[in-house]
Amino acid sequence: MAVLGSSRPNQAELHGRDVRRLRHGKFLIGVATTVHYLVVAMTLALIGTILVKGLPAISWEFLTSYPAEGMTQGGIWPMLRGSILLMVGTLALTLPFGLLGGIWLAEYAGDGRMARTLRASIATLAGTPSIIFGLFGLAIFVLKLKLGTSLLAGWFTLALFSIPIVVLTTEQALRAVPESIEDGAIALGLSRWQTIWKVMLPSALPGVMTGLVLTVTRAAGEAPPILMTAAIYYSTEKLSLGWETLKKPVANLPYHLAEGYRQGGVIPEKIIWGTCLTLMLFVLTINLFAIVIRTRARKKAGW
Amino acid sequence: MRSGPTNFMKKGRVIDWIMERLVAFCGVAIGLMVVGMFAYLALESRYAFDRKFPYGFRIAAQPVSAPRSEAVEMDPNASILTSHMDGMDGLDDKESIPMPTLAELQGVATLATGSLVEGDLKNIDPLMLARDNWQSWHDAGGQRKFLLFAFATPEHQDKSFVLRWEPDAAFDADLSVHNLRLKLIKAPVGIDAPAVDIDLRARPRGEIELPVFIARSDDERTQGYVFELESTPTGISAIGATLRGFFKTEWAPTTQYPRYGLMPLLLSTVIITILAILFAIGPALLTALYLSEFAPHRLREWLKPIIELLASIPTVVLGYFGLMIVAPGLMATVGKAFGMESGRSLLTAAVVMAVLIIPTIASIAEDGLRNIPRSLRDGAEALGLTSTESIRRVILPAARPALYAALLLGFARAIGETMIVWILSGGTPAMPTGVDALVASTRGIADTVGIEMANVEFEQPHYGHLFLIGLVLFAITIVCNLLGQRLARRAAWRS
Repeated sequence: MAVLGSSRPNQAELHGRDVRRLRHGKFLIGVATTVHYLVVAMTLALIGTILVKGLPAISWEFLTSYPAEGMTQGGIWPMLRGSILLMVGTLALTLPFGLLGGIWLAEYAGDGRMARTLRASIATLAGTPSIIFGLFGLAIFVLKLKLGTSLLAGWFTLALFSIPIVVLTTEQALRAVPESIEDGAIALGLSRWQTIWKVMLPSALPGVMTGLVLTVTRAAGEAPPILMTAAIYYSTEKLSLGWETLKKPVANLPYHLAEGYRQGGVIPEKIIWGTCLTLMLFVLTINLFAIVIRTRARKKAGW
Repeated sequence: MRSGPTNFMKKGRVIDWIMERLVAFCGVAIGLMVVGMFAYLALESRYAFDRKFPYGFRIAAQPVSAPRSEAVEMDPNASILTSHMDGMDGLDDKESIPMPTLAELQGVATLATGSLVEGDLKNIDPLMLARDNWQSWHDAGGQRKFLLFAFATPEHQDKSFVLRWEPDAAFDADLSVHNLRLKLIKAPVGIDAPAVDIDLRARPRGEIELPVFIARSDDERTQGYVFELESTPTGISAIGATLRGFFKTEWAPTTQYPRYGLMPLLLSTVIITILAILFAIGPALLTALYLSEFAPHRLREWLKPIIELLASIPTVVLGYFGLMIVAPGLMATVGKAFGMESGRSLLTAAVVMAVLIIPTIASIAEDGLRNIPRSLRDGAEALGLTSTESIRRVILPAARPALYAALLLGFARAIGETMIVWILSGGTPAMPTGVDALVASTRGIADTVGIEMANVEFEQPHYGHLFLIGLVLFAITIVCNLLGQRLARRAAWRS
C-alpha cells in the first residue's frame, strides 16, 4: 500500500499543511496498530490464562481415568473418548457430501440464477446457529426416526451442521486451483470428471482437508447440537465398540462443561479448568496442524 | 493397443454421466436443506398450537342468606391449596381418606365433582367436596368435562342458593384457546330450574340464583343439580390465541397456567447482541484495517491466524472463561458502582460475546478491504492523498457494503450464540427495562431452548413453543445472512 504516508518524501520540501496531513496519517496507523496488537494480546492472554489454570489439572492420569466420587475427582476419559468418537463419525459423514457438494458448486453449478440461489442458501445454512441444528436433530433423528439420544443421532446432527461449511470451503479450494491446470488436463483429453478427480482435487486437497478438519473440530467443540441429541452427563461405562455403541448416548467434553454448569458447582474448579483446557487443546492443536499444512502446501504449489 | 484410449474415454464418459448427476443431486439437496429444515421446524412447532389450555375457573355454591363477606372466600390460595394438597396426599391411598357424610356437611349448599360413567352419575370425588369455598377447576390431563353437583343438606334452611364463578387469579379467560361453557344438564326432580348455558369467555365472572335442592341421603347427592363445565377447542382461534400469547412479556412455561411470552427473551438477546457489536466494532474494524492496510506482509501471515485462533475457541470454554475471569472482574468494577447482584448479567454476556465476534467481524471486514481494487488505491495515491486520506475518502467508502456485511454477519453469529448467554447471563427470564437491567440477571432465546429442552415433555405445548422460538431465531439469522451476503457480494469488486 505504497501511498504517501509510507513513501517518505523529503520532509524539507513539504508545506506545513502537508506535514499535518502526514502526522494525521501516522496517528491513524498508530491507533490501528495499537488496537490490533491489543486484540492479539487479548487472544494470547485468554489462551494463556486457560493454559496456566488448566495445566496443573492435566496429567496422563487425568486424561485416561474415569470420573470418581460424583464427578468431584478422577479424570475425564469418557468425555474425551466421546468427543473423539463424535468427531470421527462426523468427519466420515461430512467428507463425501461436503466434497461432492463443493465440487458441484465449483465446477458444475455455473453462475445461473438457480446456482446463485442455492449457493446463497448453503451460505445461509453455514451461518445458522448450532442450536437450530440441535432442535432439528432432536425432532427428526431422535424422535421421528426413533434413534433416541444416541451417538448416531449426534453424528447426523453434527454432520448437518458441518456439511454446508465444508461445501463452501471445498468450493473455495477448488476455485483457487489455477485455470491453467484445468485447461492442461482438458487439453490432454481427460474427461470432465477425470479432470476434477485426478487433477483438480489433488491440487486442491490441502485446502479441502483443512476446511474439513477445521469445520469438524469446530463442530466437536459445539455443545448445543449434541445437547439434545447425543449427550449424557455421567458415564462410567467401559468402551465396547460395537453396534450397540451407536445406540447409546455419549459423554463428551463440551456437554460435560455445559451440564456441569447447570448442576451448579459440583465439579471442582480445578477439574473444570482442566476440562476447558483439554477441549481447547483438542480443537486448537488439530486446527493448528491443519493451518500449518495448508500454508506449507500453498507455498509449495506457489499460488 | 487396439482400443485402449477409446475404452478409457468411454469409461470416462460413463463416469462423467454418473458423477454429473450425483454431484448435482448432492449440491441441490444441500442447497435445499435450509428450506427443509425451516419447514420441519415449523411443522414441529405445531405442538405449540395444540395446547390443552387450563380451565382456570373457580366456582362456589353458597346459600343466599349467608353474609357475603364471610361466604366469599376471596383469597384463592387458601382454599385451592388445601384441596390440592389433600388430593396429592390421597393419590397413593384413596381408601384411607374418609368421605364426608351429609351429617358432616351441616346446612350448606355444596358443590362436588364427579364423572359420567356409562350414563350413570358415579364416582363423586369426595376429595373435591367444597364447603362454602371456592373450588378451582383446571384442566387435568386433557379431560374436557367436569360435572358439578349442587345440593344442600337436610338441615339447610334457605330457599335458594347462588352459584358463582370467576377466573383464577392467574388465568386470562380471554387468552384461552377453548370455548368454555357452564351448563346445567340436569335439574333435580320436582324443581323448576331455569336453563343455564353460560359462555365463560364472554362472561368470565358472574352468578346465578337457583332453588335449593335438599339431599336427604348420601345417595341423593347424585340427584342434585348436575352442571357441566365444558371446554371445547375453538378451531382457528387457537392459532391466534397462541401467537398472541407468544408475543407477550412473560415467560413462565412451567407454572399452572403457562405463559409463553417470547418478548423478554428476544429483547434480552437483541440487547446483548447490540451491546456486543458496540463493544466489538472498534477493535474489529481497526484490526481489519491494520491487517489489510498497514501490516507488513510477512507479519500478516502470523497475525491473522492468531485472530482466527480466537474464533476457534469453543464457546463453552469462552463461557467458562467469562464466568471465572470476566464476571468477577466486572463485579469488582462495574458491579460495585451499580449494585450488581452477581457477576452474571446481561453486561457480562455482552462483553464476552464481543470477544467472540471480534474475529468474525474483523475477518469479513478485512476481506472486504483487501478486495478493493488496486486501481482505486493507485488513483488515490496519484492524487497525492496521504494514507489516512486515502483510507477515509476512498477505501472505506468503497468498502462500506463489506463493512455492513461484516457487522450483519457478526450480528447473526451473536444472536444465535447459546453457551455464552447460558453461562453468563444469570438465567432469569425477565423483561429488560431500564438501565438496571444491564447489570441484572437475564436470559436470551437460544440459551432458553438449550436450557429447557432438557427437561421438557416431548411433543407438548412447551416443546412446541421452544421450536417456535427456534423458528424465530432461524428466521432472524436467515435474513441477516442473506442481507450480509448480498452486501458482501456487492462489495466484491471484480477488477
